[in-house]
Amino acid sequence: MTDPRPVVLVVEDEPQMRRFLRASLGAEGYQVLEAWSVADGVRQVTAEHPDAVLLDLGLPDGDGIELVRRVREWSSVPVIVVSARGREEEKVAALDAGADDYLPKPFGTKELLARLRVALRHARAVAAPEGPLLDVGPLRMDLERHEASVEGRAVRLTPIEWRLLAYLARHAGKVLTHAQILREVWGPNASSQSHYVRVYMAELRKKLEADPSRPQLLLTEPGIGYRLADGA
Amino acid sequence: MIGSDASALHRNKLFKSGWLGYAAAVALVVGTTAVGAAARVVLDVPDVEMLYVLVVLVSAVFLGRGPAIASAAVGVLAYDFFFVPPTYTLNVADPRYLFTFAMMFGIGLLVSSLADRAREAAVRAESEALRGTLLSSVSHDLRTPLAAITGAATTLRDQHVDESTRRELVEAICEEAERMERLVKNLLDMTRLASGAVSAQREWIPVDELVGAALSRTEGKLSRHRLRTEIPVSPVLVSVDPILVEQLLVNLLENAARHTPPGTEVLVRAEGGPGGLVLEVADRGPGVAPGEEEKVFERFHTGGRATGQGAGLGLAIARAIAEVHGGTLRLASRPGGGASFRLALPGAGASPPVPAEAEVEPGTPERRSSP
Repeated sequence: MTDPRPVVLVVEDEPQMRRFLRASLGAEGYQVLEAWSVADGVRQVTAEHPDAVLLDLGLPDGDGIELVRRVREWSSVPVIVVSARGREEEKVAALDAGADDYLPKPFGTKELLARLRVALRHARAVAAPEGPLLDVGPLRMDLERHEASVEGRAVRLTPIEWRLLAYLARHAGKVLTHAQILREVWGPNASSQSHYVRVYMAELRKKLEADPSRPQLLLTEPGIGYRLADGA
Repeated sequence: MIGSDASALHRNKLFKSGWLGYAAAVALVVGTTAVGAAARVVLDVPDVEMLYVLVVLVSAVFLGRGPAIASAAVGVLAYDFFFVPPTYTLNVADPRYLFTFAMMFGIGLLVSSLADRAREAAVRAESEALRGTLLSSVSHDLRTPLAAITGAATTLRDQHVDESTRRELVEAICEEAERMERLVKNLLDMTRLASGAVSAQREWIPVDELVGAALSRTEGKLSRHRLRTEIPVSPVLVSVDPILVEQLLVNLLENAARHTPPGTEVLVRAEGGPGGLVLEVADRGPGVAPGEEEKVFERFHTGGRATGQGAGLGLAIARAIAEVHGGTLRLASRPGGGASFRLALPGAGASPPVPAEAEVEPGTPERRSSP
């Protein structure tokens, strides 16, 4: 491909939404491809290798989650799911199936572009070899020396806190579901113990946040999971 | 039947057909028997009979069918035993009394079914009236932002406007669209809560996370207020539906942001434990007029002011969420001025254990000298 612009595949059955996305993404320098069904979406991911996929969950020929599952069998292209507010189970299912992020509908252009930037950056970071240093806003983690600091102030962490924070930091800016965090930090047998995550997050907040009840770094996504604020 | 009405109706039903109704019916019979015995000197036996008929009527109207039949049965037995000759036996000397007994049962059945029907009609009329209010309010509240959006958008399309006007119109479109979104969301929430389709999906969650999530969602709206929090520092777990209770809190905070002047203090205080969750959102705004403490929770109540922002659903939703948890949400005036919303949700016993972990620095090759 000679066109240097990042390619975003929009999978959405509502023409008004496609019109809006085409205009606003196009204006930001993205090349926009459009699909209006699960089958069409899968076909275009295969044929066109987009840099990111923006996926509406309610599609005429099936659930968008189905597309995530099929694409994830062979591709790690970032997928951002678009779903109406108040359908948290749906979002969690899509994220657990391998989607990278979600956007509640209706959303503003600013939010959309921010999520897209994070997703594209992650895709690049995954491709590049990971260094021992993780810098996320005021947080720095040295994975080799097992040291963490916030604004230069060293923080002591327990082993679980360390694993939890490192997992969040490696996916900074991305929402992680309770189930994903449990599996990663506590192992496959703890999947029903979502209060573990919450208690350890509270402990982490006490150690990292200036005011733990008004977190700036370790953000809660109600009903879904957590997100480590991505610098900026 | 919506929200609080539904739960009031539920309570009423419990009283009418639960054991409480039967207990009340029996108590009435016992009382009547005592009255009848005391008045025996001035009353003939058939007059006492009228007292028992009265009991059956009262039970039928206020307690429902089951208790009415129970009061008829117990009443007949008591009447027979204490008053009908031969007294202090359950024998009946005169076949006329058998007719009396049948009459009492019949009255109980008939009146209780009439009372049921009347009650249903009243509920139906109420929900019809509600639907009417809902429709007119919704169409007004949706049309106002829609008119503003249409006006601004067509101006931008059809007229040549200078840059500052353009910005203003675009801003108006965004704001009004947001307002519509909020209204639609509130209407959906209210409808779902009202239909009884929502139950609390309880999970154990630290109080500070609940409050923190709500605070970060309302940060923008409360940016010109002074926010103070009193929240337990160590993780105190409570068992609630995180999404619903966060919504409840957001609604209370938005209400405070909307109805109190900038620069005033908003206090969020929380306590949690095995006994449940107590949460307070207190402001230093104009407060609440005496007698208005319950009105604010009514749907489409907007404090008598021009709506401007909300459709008067936020607090109704908040209360419905409290009720879904079997809890209460009340408003009171605050000493020194302002209003205070107090949420109390019942607990779910001791919180589950979390495996403890030693506070050591993880397998560090070299240790930092300062912690």
